[in-house]
Amino acid sequence: MATTTATITLSSSDIADNSFSISNTSTLYTAGTDTGISETTGLGRKKVADNSNIVLLDGGLTSGIAADVTADKSAKVYIKNMNDRGDGTKYVNILLAAVEIGRLYGGDWMFIPWCAASGKDIEFTASDTTETTLEYTCFYE
Amino acid sequence: MATTTATITLSSADLLSDNMSLSATMNLYKGGTTATGLDQMNYHRLIVPTGTNFDLIEESAALTEDANYVYIINKNTDVTDYVKISINSEEIGRLYAGDWLFMPWDCDLSAAANDSTIELEAFTHEHIIEYALFHNGETLVTAADS
Repeated sequence: MATTTATITLSSSDIADNSFSISNTSTLYTAGTDTGISETTGLGRKKVADNSNIVLLDGGLTSGIAADVTADKSAKVYIKNMNDRGDGTKYVNILLAAVEIGRLYGGDWMFIPWCAASGKDIEFTASDTTETTLEYTCFYE
Repeated sequence: MATTTATITLSSADLLSDNMSLSATMNLYKGGTTATGLDQMNYHRLIVPTGTNFDLIEESAALTEDANYVYIINKNTDVTDYVKISINSEEIGRLYAGDWLFMPWDCDLSAAANDSTIELEAFTHEHIIEYALFHNGETLVTAADS
């Protein structure tokens, strides 16, 4: 088994009266065990100049690199919008199937568990046709 | 405005044939701005019983079409314990004991979206959940006796 960790630090010195800082580390285990996740899609990079809906990670595949990513397990997904923030009006909508999760503006990242059942694709839609670059990876069992 | 940062570090010495280390830091800015930080947040700690899918963060008009960010952590320690996180009945995934998520959230009130409330259901045991919402405003409710 492998030991892979994900650490988050949220901090601000001025969003509240006192400084605010949270830091937590999780070890990526297979579902319901303390055995480390041992597979990954690797770090990918995707460039698009298109504002149509595009599948980033295809849930429920029966073959291919992500075939083992299945529902009710312990997959984790990281996505970062590599673009500059620019004027702050350009973003990428991240969707789970047809349901919008939220907007990644330039420089934003997200890290979520993923129910990768059939049809539960992780998709994205850019706000315009400016070239957008995403980096992403999936850890799975 | 406030300056709030979110940093992630993903690392492993033995998942691949060489060390893996990835780190990213972002500022939590308001949507449509170049560098104006979000200056409102809610932070909660809950004990969630099993058996019911609960609304964790409810949609509201004040949260639409903007940059909101959600952090949720499962503070349980039994590795078999997990919670399901969903939006609009679509399961995003499971947070097992010790797992956390951080994601943007665009509260979508359109008819097509139906419901963009973030939901949580606990399995196996009751769960201690901490979560934060960094946002640009919320719909305040006028007091019934005002």
